[in-house]
Amino acid sequence: MSKFAVLIQVNLKTILRDRILHAILGAVVVGLLLVPAISSFSMRQVQELAISLALSGISFFLLVMAILLGSSSIWRDVEQRHTTSVLTLPLSRTTYVLAKFAAIAIFLLGTGILLGICSIPLISVAAASYPSDQPILWGNLVVALCGDIAKSMLIAAMALLLSSISTSFYLPFFGSVVLYLCGSASQEVYEYVTGEFVRAMHPLVIVIIKSVYCLLPNLAAFNYKVQAVYALPIPFEQIAWSVGYGTLYVAMILVLAVLTFNRRVLG
Amino acid sequence: MNPILIERISKSYKGKKGQRIQALSELTLEVKPGEILGVLGPNGAGKSTTIKILTGQIPPDSGTVEILGAMAGSMQARSAFGYLPENPAFYDFLTPREYLHLVGAAFAMSVDRIKSESDRVLALLDLQTDSDRPLRGFSKGMVQRLGLAQALLHDPDLFIWDEPMSGLDPMGRALVKGLMLELKRRGKTIFFSTHVTADVEAVCDRVAVIVGGRLQALNDVQEILADGIEGYQVQILNPSAELAARFSASEDNGVMTELYVSREALPGFLDLASRGGEDIRLIEPRRRNLEQFFLDIVSRNQR
Ligand SMILES: Nc1ncnc2c1ncn2[C@@H]1O[C@H](COP(=O)(O)OP(=O)(O)O)[C@@H](O)[C@H]1O
Ligand SMILES: [Mg+2]
Repeated sequence: MSKFAVLIQVNLKTILRDRILHAILGAVVVGLLLVPAISSFSMRQVQELAISLALSGISFFLLVMAILLGSSSIWRDVEQRHTTSVLTLPLSRTTYVLAKFAAIAIFLLGTGILLGICSIPLISVAAASYPSDQPILWGNLVVALCGDIAKSMLIAAMALLLSSISTSFYLPFFGSVVLYLCGSASQEVYEYVTGEFVRAMHPLVIVIIKSVYCLLPNLAAFNYKVQAVYALPIPFEQIAWSVGYGTLYVAMILVLAVLTFNRRVLG
Repeated sequence: MNPILIERISKSYKGKKGQRIQALSELTLEVKPGEILGVLGPNGAGKSTTIKILTGQIPPDSGTVEILGAMAGSMQARSAFGYLPENPAFYDFLTPREYLHLVGAAFAMSVDRIKSESDRVLALLDLQTDSDRPLRGFSKGMVQRLGLAQALLHDPDLFIWDEPMSGLDPMGRALVKGLMLELKRRGKTIFFSTHVTADVEAVCDRVAVIVGGRLQALNDVQEILADGIEGYQVQILNPSAELAARFSASEDNGVMTELYVSREALPGFLDLASRGGEDIRLIEPRRRNLEQFFLDIVSRNQR
């Protein structure tokens, strides 16, 4: 097996053998099991609520895992001096950083798919209890789930970048939370400043806001929840845009993480 | 080609309040193929700093280091040695076997070879019974032995070990000393650091004494031990009155007399003894040991 594959394997073992993860995963599964019961409280939109709750639950879990795993990765290896033994082997730092990300990404993909599969019967049960006017477009649900997985991977990449320069938990953790919040709001802010009624704003301010918008992740690009819940059509171009944007953004962040970590003096 | 070539390396660290701590000053050292060279120095002498530079973990401020002709820290250099860090720390959720798998993969060993070599080094360091248990529950000595095992896994020609005996019990120390001599017999080169003179005496061909970041002495261990002869303990059966008068007896049980003869006085003593037909039963050198040699250098530098 290649060095890269073995490092991914080792990192996945770290993630999977963590007790905290088991607890969080248990809580999410219990939460998902409650979805049919909770949605039945909504008299009219049981199906819509079930889909929405299941997707939000999975999305929240992936987000929490992305932030926790990303922000506890590289700096911790440095602090606990694991890097002393691992990075003096003939392994490049580039391989090391990319394997860290790959392991987290594989974990997010795997648990995302697993929880997605778990929620199929739960959504079906809820929908059957009070038939809706709308069909369930399972394809849309899959797209929405993939969007959430992609979003969590992007957040994980940012947390990893911050943890590659940090010497403690604080910067990567709070940094990625703040970036997540900004990234979630950036689309609205952008639409606001490009809208009709802010003509009065100084053009320079608008330029600054627009460039910050370009740098911040636009997490709205991965949001397909409305289409999943209300069975609305999803144009192919939109999916293509999400995939292209996500890939490019994550690649850029990883390049930055590799560059900064290669420059970092350890020991 | 020399396994290690260190040329005039210096290194300083940032200390408190912007002060600089000079950890190494103009260190020059050459390790020859097949030798065991011990770096001996008190705590804070710069031993670990030297080893971190050799293994490419930190760059020197100035000077150069070559590992088998390759620049320190390069992939080629890192492939050439087996490294044991000071107080090593490994991923503690892994088992020794899993960790060795990572190490073997890093050295591009085949899965089969990793398996057989893992068996070999785990047996060598007496870790077989713990080989599938997570490292989390390991004692310091067990982790140290895994550190040695992973340094041996790819069977390189050069070993760089930082305080290999630290944290080991007497049996472990004996094991490691035996291991070092066995590696030397197989033609391997070992560069290791220690603050214990007995370790140097037991295994080293040469010793480099570092104090305050400077090389203070570089000697052949056997020569130090030979140079350290200060005098001789002599046992004589019924010495003549003349001999007893010139060399004071340290012990006399009526039959056997024990004399102390200084190094300078030995020729005169032998001359007199042979003329008098003395019955010499034993001549034993009295050495100033390596520890004294080391302490002298350290105290000279602290003055
Ligand atoms: N990362 C560091 N930051 C500041 N000072 C350091 C650092 N590492 C080592 N030192 C200092 O450099 C000197 C040499 O340290 P070291 O090489 O670890 O000594 P040894 O291994 O011989 O005990 C000591 O004074 C130590 O305090
Ligand atoms: Mg040290």
